[in-house]
Amino acid sequence: VALALRRLALLLPLLLGATVAQAHPHVWISAVSELLYAPDGTLTGVRHAWTFDDMFSTYALQGIETRQKGVYTREELAPLAQTNAESLKEFAYFTFAKADGTKQRFEDPVDYFLDYNNSQLTLHFTLPAKTPFKAKQLVLDVFDRTYFIDFQMADKDPVRLVGAPEGCKMQLQRPNDGSASAQALNEQTFASGGANANFGMMFANKITVDCP
Amino acid sequence: MTRLPPLRALATCFALIALFVTVDGAIHVAMAQTPFGGPRPAPEPQVGGFVGWLLARQSEFYREISATIRAAKSDGSAVWTLLAISFAYGIFHAAGPGHGKAVISSYLVANQETAWRGIVLSFASALMQALVAVAVVAVGAWLLNVTAKTMCGAEKAIEIASYGLIAIFGARLVWTKGGAFISALQADRRQPALAAAAHQHHDHDHYHGHDHDHHGHDHVHDAHCGHSHGPAPDELAGPGGWRRGLAAVLTVGIRPCSGAILVLVFALAQGLFWAGIAATFVMGLGTAITVATIAVVAVFAKDVARRLSGGRDGGGALIMRGIEFGAAGLVLLFGAGLLFGYIAAERTTCL
Repeated sequence: VALALRRLALLLPLLLGATVAQAHPHVWISAVSELLYAPDGTLTGVRHAWTFDDMFSTYALQGIETRQKGVYTREELAPLAQTNAESLKEFAYFTFAKADGTKQRFEDPVDYFLDYNNSQLTLHFTLPAKTPFKAKQLVLDVFDRTYFIDFQMADKDPVRLVGAPEGCKMQLQRPNDGSASAQALNEQTFASGGANANFGMMFANKITVDCP
Repeated sequence: MTRLPPLRALATCFALIALFVTVDGAIHVAMAQTPFGGPRPAPEPQVGGFVGWLLARQSEFYREISATIRAAKSDGSAVWTLLAISFAYGIFHAAGPGHGKAVISSYLVANQETAWRGIVLSFASALMQALVAVAVVAVGAWLLNVTAKTMCGAEKAIEIASYGLIAIFGARLVWTKGGAFISALQADRRQPALAAAAHQHHDHDHYHGHDHDHHGHDHVHDAHCGHSHGPAPDELAGPGGWRRGLAAVLTVGIRPCSGAILVLVFALAQGLFWAGIAATFVMGLGTAITVATIAVVAVFAKDVARRLSGGRDGGGALIMRGIEFGAAGLVLLFGAGLLFGYIAAERTTCL
């Protein structure tokens, strides 16, 4: 019995490790976001430009007829853009805003379209705030909590404040890319099933805007 | 009910925990990430190093697949790299919270199945998954040239059918195992009044730890306590058992993996459909190895539980019927949970 117990004890972390593992991304998005402000300093909405990885782009373009092979015009991509805009609703557009700690909601997207460059699709759309709001501190998270999509804010100029009141400061906190936790891997975390790090923060892009 | 000595009781509990961790862990993780709709507080599941590492490997392999398919267009030898990556990806991918291995493991535990059969079922369901993925893309994208939207609509329909089948399959198991469990309960209650001869013989069997699949006459029958609603374990493991096993394969294997669909469509667009198909099957092989490993562990854990509880009068049989009933219930819960969206499975590729 003791031997069997010891064997089971050895197996447990393996089982735990194997089952706690979450989904991994199938889609990669490189994002550029603009925060849109009204002249009175209220935030009216967020404008995203999401560039999909080439595999998903190819998949999304499957079956779309074009006049010229390999060239997709905005008009030809319009039905697909509409599908995207509609199906993203289910996921709250992966955009979660908090104004001074209070959750803010968004309307359905407007001004959406797709363009195609270098084998990659980019979805442009604007999310109007349900009620435009002012905030001393705005926190905007862009991520997929199921991690089917991996969001990375673009390397260059990822967040722009458009018409923000003077003195507003933006800070972007990027997600850990998993390599950090790979380095942290050692015998001990393996044996304990690795129950220490915070998984959620691994893939959230946190945009914080502090205004005077 | 016969009282178990503390150590043995503890050990039995431990074996039970090991047994259900596979399923339970997956449920908890899945529950934590559903439903999708609406903004929710930031998720804080406490998982880390090893899992993070797993995720990182998976992502790497998956991302390399598209690059390798592109490379294979000009350099044929890149196909070997593609197959190697796909194989590794399959192994890591199946370690995720997929419902497949949970259903198969629970099924094996609910029935008196052998590890060997667990392996066969794991490989058969992975093979079927690959076949369905290839069929969906071959018919949808290659033959009919439908849009991604139509294809993911088909994916969703298959998904719902799959979850429904799991629920039905689970309900059937619950019906069968519930009957056996109730019979065992009744037998247990009558225990003290009965002569002990048959039981002593039984104890003897257990202490020697023989394979019970072939001669494991149950207390249910020994005690003549009326009719068990389900077939005895040795009947289940018999030839008819394969048909039931096939049902398990069908329920799990009918839903293709989203990753495979993406890879196939991408390969098709690159004019290398055959490479995508090969990659899908190799991926399935990797998946099968992981699922089979987990299935074997589940069977082994049940075996340990049986040995630990086996020496007891009546109580042992009751515990085993209880475990089987529990596992059957889990299959049903899984099916219903997936069907009604309480459990998040891997998403379809609809965006």
